[in-house]
Amino acid sequence: METVSVVPEKETITEEVKLITGSEALMRSLVAEGVETIFGYPGGAIMPVYDALYDFQDRLHHILVRHEQGAAHAAEGYARITGRAGVCLVTSGPGATNLVTGIADALIDSTPMVCLIGQVGKNLLGTDAFQETDVIGVTMPISKWNYQVTNADEIPDIVSKAFYIAQSGRPGPVVIDITKNAQQELMTRPFQYQRCQTLVSYRPRLIPKQEQVEKAAELINSAKKPYMLVGHGVLIAKAEKELLTFAEKTGIPVATTLLGQSAFPADHPLYAGWLGMHGNYGPNVMTSECDVLIGIGMRFDDRVTGNASLFAPQAKVVHIEIDPSEIDKIIKAHAPVIGDAKEVLDRLTPLVHPNDHTVWRNEFRKYDAIEDEKVKRPALAPTTEKIKMPEVIDLLSKKTNGEAVLVADVGQHQMIASAFYQYKRPNSLITSGGLGTMGFALPAAFGAKVGDPSREVIAIIGDGCFQMTIQELGTIAQSKLPVKAIILNNNYLGMVRQWQQLFFERRYSFVELQNPDFITIARGFGIDGHTCNHREDLSASLDTLLNSDKPYLLEVIVEKEENVFPMVPAGTSVASIRLE
Amino acid sequence: MTTYTICIFTENTIGLLNRITIIFTRRRINIESLTVSETERKGVSRFTIVIKHESRETVEKLVRQIRKIVEVLAVFGYLNEDVVYNEIALFKIETPLGAKPLDIETINNQYKAWVVYWGLDYVVIEKTGTEEEIFTFFEYIKPHSILEFVRSGRVAVGKTEKGLVEYLPETEWEYYL
Repeated sequence: METVSVVPEKETITEEVKLITGSEALMRSLVAEGVETIFGYPGGAIMPVYDALYDFQDRLHHILVRHEQGAAHAAEGYARITGRAGVCLVTSGPGATNLVTGIADALIDSTPMVCLIGQVGKNLLGTDAFQETDVIGVTMPISKWNYQVTNADEIPDIVSKAFYIAQSGRPGPVVIDITKNAQQELMTRPFQYQRCQTLVSYRPRLIPKQEQVEKAAELINSAKKPYMLVGHGVLIAKAEKELLTFAEKTGIPVATTLLGQSAFPADHPLYAGWLGMHGNYGPNVMTSECDVLIGIGMRFDDRVTGNASLFAPQAKVVHIEIDPSEIDKIIKAHAPVIGDAKEVLDRLTPLVHPNDHTVWRNEFRKYDAIEDEKVKRPALAPTTEKIKMPEVIDLLSKKTNGEAVLVADVGQHQMIASAFYQYKRPNSLITSGGLGTMGFALPAAFGAKVGDPSREVIAIIGDGCFQMTIQELGTIAQSKLPVKAIILNNNYLGMVRQWQQLFFERRYSFVELQNPDFITIARGFGIDGHTCNHREDLSASLDTLLNSDKPYLLEVIVEKEENVFPMVPAGTSVASIRLE
Repeated sequence: MTTYTICIFTENTIGLLNRITIIFTRRRINIESLTVSETERKGVSRFTIVIKHESRETVEKLVRQIRKIVEVLAVFGYLNEDVVYNEIALFKIETPLGAKPLDIETINNQYKAWVVYWGLDYVVIEKTGTEEEIFTFFEYIKPHSILEFVRSGRVAVGKTEKGLVEYLPETEWEYYL
């Protein structure tokens, strides 16, 4: 089949025009697109590109990771903090398949990423050639778009299309599979790069329909107990200010999802807390009390709704979302508004009546008091022999004034990092929400630090997670960027152990780890660190970590069998939330 | 179970069939029939996919997921009464010496089917119609030893007055469902 892509008709070329190779065209395209950083790993089928990159080192900062999965997560961390697509450059076959976890992670967490992947020459396609994998087939269900480039002329237009698709609408990962011949051969026409602005078949709606906005405003104005759930979409749209204005005008309490953390300042009186399986007590149970529920840039994930058929059945739902396929997917929307969160809030705010909902808001405080007494205070009380995870995050929050970027891995420590850090600035919690990818944090923290070196970036990692991408210590050491990492070590796969304790009669099936000496390993990589065993050393230990101007690893030995509460058991109603 | 006809307009590019069908596979929705061809607009392909499902909601969600594919221009989900639809079927029927002769008049007049090829000891009959009409004819012709039977899968056009392709790509598409 023929493509109807953006490639224009071939032009006749005159002798004196210098023609460039596909690889050079790729480099020039990336420069023209404004790319500054590439996370990559060379190999056979991408060598012509790496050769071209040799001449572009002054314009394109390439970071050599230690495993392609590290490149993918670093690109995600970079994208999450900058809002621009992270770029990965890897070889065919295993290079590509090692990226797969990161691509799937980026898709489900709406993270813009452009993966440039080498492929065997066009003539070898389909022959089971060395390091040949059907990358298009493999990545089709886990990418927003993918494309196989088989001749050099296609490169500029496909690259511009890739960045446009990755970064617009609901962002996501895009894969470009480039055959080796396309990298090597000369283009048949002069290089020209035009940034893609629009595509015939792909036109995300940013500006909402006025009637949808009006209907939403009407519902909100009629509400006695309105409640806002805000997600990652607010951060992606950079709509934090608009959200704040809207919230302050309407007096509607705001809860965030896990990925929506830091979209609304945690110290604001309208901030109710966060939602979900391990979210706060009030925010979860109040979904069953409100009369109008306003979801903004969120997708009613099952970790938020619990049993969806029992989720907020009494409420009229306003769903503000850029992706039309999310409307009615899990929770039926009475007033859907398709559009970019910023554009929608800009139009919605003038239509809503000022209010303050004091009585309603105070109802949240009742639950907060219960949660404080049953969960938070005991969690922070120095009652155990060993340090507890919440103590570490709470102290870290105070020491950094809630202004650091936490990059949390997956498990108990992730939930604690979300619950006990008071996020004050946007884009301050970077974590793998949808896919729950263990090993995400270390490379993603590195990518975030590359993306914004001015911010303090601290990875919060469990001892299990750390060993999944531990090799990226090498990348960090080589870059010399002061990425900080805290390992909360309980010698367990803590969240799985918690489930086994609560739901599988304490049958601890393969969750205990015999760990290596992490500090010795870090030193082997040239990264300094130390272990904190005792509560009285914790403050000084965190100071050492924070004051270091180099990468630093702090291992905190924590209580082995602490559980994370509140907890909504999987598949139940949020009303079944357990506090102990 | 309700029959739905999903019409998908796409750019004509490699791999789109795969991209579309994995959306069905992931949701464990079986495809009853599928046809693809280029439309009156160059570079625009039309997929006609027939599925049976008990939940209209699931089909609506499916339609939205298909719409999300970058190269997809528009998607419409139809109930049977919303479309004019047909299939073509070919029957290869054994006609050995001494067998009961085919009643061509009945085949032509009653079943609107036509012999399109005469072999030495077989004929090929072409029957156009809805799935039901084809199966009615199938039942009729079955006693004559069917050597081969093939159906094309449904093609369908909506019963709206406008040509669907006229909508592409300028207007904002709405889902028909």
